[in-house]
Amino acid sequence: MITSQAKDSIERIFFKAAQARLPMAPGDVCDIVAIKPGSAGGAGSTGASATESGAARVGRSQAQTGQVVVLTISGIVFRLMLLLHFDEDDSTRDYFVKEGAQSAFEEIVAEISNLCCGAMNQELLRYFPDLGMSTPYTLSAHCVPHLEDLRPSYLASYAIQLGDSVHIAATLCVCADAPIDFVADVTAVEESSGELELF
Amino acid sequence: MAKILVVDDSSTVRDEVASFLRKNGLDVDTAVDGKDGLAKMKASPGIKLVVSDVNMPNMDGLTMAEKIRGELANSAVNIIMLTTESSPAMKERGKAAGVKGWIVKPFKGDAVLETFRKLAS
Repeated sequence: MITSQAKDSIERIFFKAAQARLPMAPGDVCDIVAIKPGSAGGAGSTGASATESGAARVGRSQAQTGQVVVLTISGIVFRLMLLLHFDEDDSTRDYFVKEGAQSAFEEIVAEISNLCCGAMNQELLRYFPDLGMSTPYTLSAHCVPHLEDLRPSYLASYAIQLGDSVHIAATLCVCADAPIDFVADVTAVEESSGELELF
Repeated sequence: MAKILVVDDSSTVRDEVASFLRKNGLDVDTAVDGKDGLAKMKASPGIKLVVSDVNMPNMDGLTMAEKIRGELANSAVNIIMLTTESSPAMKERGKAAGVKGWIVKPFKGDAVLETFRKLAS
């Protein structure tokens, strides 16, 4: 129900959103590697070439442990779920929680996930104008293998390295209610976030 | 001093926006959702600018804006939405609810500070 160019487009939109919103500093590395199908993540990747790396190994082991932040983008023809996996280890906490921050780690990564999914939503709205996005919610990562039960048209997991030592993981799950075919031009979109549009 | 009300269910965003505005000399109050924001508006007639998220539990930001204009009959306060939502349909609903402006997150304080000052004066 989803053409390969549409799957590729969704993946490129995710990559762009993740690289724009997940790093805490502008110059930080954001290395995204697809996790191979059948690995511990349980998701059947159809995305970019999967090269085993430190980030991928961490992603596979991380995919079913800890918590995931879940967001949904829904419209008439599909429902997309973005799951971001964060382990609250020292390096991850130090990376995301700024000194003096009053919010809890869980709250902070939920907002970062919200920004990432918001960037995806913004891009997808160019092709599907009826989309709406959920607020973030946190679930046990044990829910990830059950995504297969939704019989998704597209399911892929990724290992993400941020900066020198922070490893998180992501899963994209798309359930289509109608055929989906589009080609995203992610280079053509202007960066308009943060600007005030007065009515 | 004119007060700015920051409404967001995310404490991360509330703290970030309120801290930035306070650091720049503005008087700020916060609310955790639209229902809380509406109660703060009732209790604090001095509020000149509301900066609000859209998607929140209990009451969303656009419903709060509609109630500020309708129930409270307050046509003077400026309402700005700060949200990940960017669809034209949502912005149209905002305009109809009396929203003055729209910012797609993330919040970039330096880009909006002077406009916020004017809208809060």
